[in-house]
Order: sequence, then C-alpha cells, then structure tokens
Amino acid sequence: MKKVLVVDDSLSVARQLAKIIAESGDFLYIGHAKNGAEAIKMNHTEDPEIICMDMNMPGMDGLTALRTLSAMDTEVKVVMVTSLGGVGDKFTEAIKLGAKNVISKPFEAGNVLRILREL
Amino acid sequence: MAVNFFGQFLVELGIVTSDALVDAINLQDKNNLRFGEMAAAMGLVTPADIQRAHSAQMSRDMKLGNLLVEMGILTPAQRDNVVVRQKNTHLYIGEALVQNGALTSEALQKHLDEFNAGQARYISNGIELPIASASNHVWEMTADLTRKMITRVLALPFHPGTCTLTTNIAPNFMLAAMDLSGDVEARYFLSVSEGLQKSVARAILGEESVEYEPAEVLEDTVMEFANIVCGNVAAKASQMGVIINITPPVTVHLPKKGLPVPDGHTALSFPIYFVGGDTMEMILLIKN
Repeated sequence: MKKVLVVDDSLSVARQLAKIIAESGDFLYIGHAKNGAEAIKMNHTEDPEIICMDMNMPGMDGLTALRTLSAMDTEVKVVMVTSLGGVGDKFTEAIKLGAKNVISKPFEAGNVLRILREL
Repeated sequence: MAVNFFGQFLVELGIVTSDALVDAINLQDKNNLRFGEMAAAMGLVTPADIQRAHSAQMSRDMKLGNLLVEMGILTPAQRDNVVVRQKNTHLYIGEALVQNGALTSEALQKHLDEFNAGQARYISNGIELPIASASNHVWEMTADLTRKMITRVLALPFHPGTCTLTTNIAPNFMLAAMDLSGDVEARYFLSVSEGLQKSVARAILGEESVEYEPAEVLEDTVMEFANIVCGNVAAKASQMGVIINITPPVTVHLPKKGLPVPDGHTALSFPIYFVGGDTMEMILLIKN
C-alpha cells in the first residue's frame, strides 16, 4: 500500500483526509504535518510515496514546501488540496513546481481517491 | 466542484495530464503578449518608454496603459487599440491544448460545456448593499458565495437577512476571521453561536454527533468553513480580474462590549437565519 502524508494546518481537514485514505484500503495514512516545514521533516523520516498538501498555512506555506521538495529531488508525488485551487496563478505555479494535481476544497471523497489512484 | 478555472477542471478529471497543461500554459505565455509587449509590437512605444513607465509604476498604483497615457506616450485611442488587439489575439487554455494536440476541438467543446454547467451554480445573484463603492461587486460576490457554500458544504436550510451597516462588531460564542488583501483590503468574519458551531462541525467532519469532540476541533471546523469560502472568493475574484490574497483563518475573541469599527473602515453585516432559530453573521470589515 502506498504511504500517504497529509499536510494541513486544519485539524478537521486532516481528519477528513485521514478517514478517506484509511478507509480506501488502497493507501496507508502515515500522519499529519501542520505546515510546510514539518512536511519536509516528515518526508525525510517517514518516507511517504504521496503527500496531500494545503497551500495556505501559517509558517512555511504549501508552495514553498513544494518548491523545497522539488529541489530535494525526492520521488514523492505531491497533490495540493486547497481552497485556493481555483485561483489560476496559484494553480499554475503549483503545477509548474511539479504538483501532480490540485484538488479544490470543498472536495469529495471519490474525487480524492480517483486522483490518488491515478498517480 | 468548487470555483475552478478550466485548466484545473481538465487536470482534476484526468482529461489532460499536468505535463500537457504546463506545455499549454507555456504556449499561452509565448502567444499572449502583455500590454507593453503588444504596444511595442504595434510600434507605439519603445523599450525605453516601457522602462520609464515601469519605473513610474513603482510609486503609482496605475495600470501600465493608463500610465503611458498620463505620461503622454500613448493617446487614449492607442491604449484602447492595444487592449483590443490583446483580446483579439488571446489564446485560451483550451485552444492551446488543441494546438498542442492534447485535446481535439470536439472534446474541447464537450468539456467546456460540462465545465460551464458546473460553474453555473456559482454565478452571483444580486445582493443590495447599503454603501456605494467601486468594490461592491466583490462584496456582493463574497456574501453570495458564503450563502452558496452554506448550502453546498453545510447543507443547512436558511434564509438570508438584509445587509446593514454596523458600527460595532458584536461578540458571539466564536468568530472566525480571515484577512483579504490585494486589490481590496478587508477582514472577513463568521460569527456563530454554540449550536451553530456544532452544526458546522457535524457537516465538516461528516459525523452525526460531535458531543465529545474537543473544543479545538469544533473551532477548527468553523475556521475551515471560512477558509473554504474565502479561497473560493479569491478564485471567483480572479475570474473577475480582481486579485485577492488570503491568510490562514484565526479565531477572534471579542470583549463583551464588542469591537467598535475603527476609523477609516466600513463594516457590513450579513445576517443568515437558520431553521430552528440559530443565526450566523457574516461581517466584512472593509478598509476605506
């Protein structure tokens, strides 16, 4: 099963995503980072295959973390899960930085799983 | 579907890959000239003119075209001609994908129709505001999207009250706040009672009961709802040509007497009445 790390400052979003991932049977939820800096640290210690990451977080935001992860040349696949997904400039920046997809909030469980399975 | 733009819709549904979209965006970047580039291509300005105007823009909050007119480099008619040429030669993302072979013309039309049908639910309905300001269309859209997201995310029946000006932001069980900046500057508040906070939490967490949830989680669900609304407001605003940046949501605790509206600000209150008697208040504290 592919290991998935969730990165979001919101406890409720982390819970929603953890539930969707854990109940899918296809993925292993390995934990929750509250900002970009924690995500980079947990990418090193937990070695996830997929990261679901918010953009708008206090401390290091999602795009900065994505830029850092891309520069580190890791194998991890990043999907942004964000309320800012519909903002054209933010979406374009994320895709150009190497995000595999951008899911807008509010999200639906089926949509999230379909996108994760296609990675 | 949230407020999206077409490229995102295509990638999210797996119709095109993110790599194909990046190629199409790069083609757009090459084709779609910015105002200064187009004016130069039309032989109306020199690179030195553009450099002078860009330097002047550092201290002036004006669009390049208007500044070039003010500096006497372009006439208003020439400025308008440049804008028309930009519009007429604009390559849309769908067209760029077709040109790159990532989509057929028939598939483009089909998916464009599906996309427009999905976005129709976010078309703004008229809301009357008690103020006259150049940004009224943004505030109307913000109030309208808040109401639409209550239906879409919280699935709670309500009826909206009339928007009024207020001089004091009243305390409540909790207020979630987010700062909006960019082309407009304001603070967005969602004020909820204890009962309504639990209703929001049940909807966001997808749980029938939230009685044993920690206070921190209950507060977080209201902040997350504000975050969803404001993110979609920023997306809708970008479709309208208005740049809005948002900060992460916070919880605000007001003193018993409330928060008087500071000088240089206007506060708009949008009450939302729920079945069962609960009231939510959406407040926009706008910097004048």
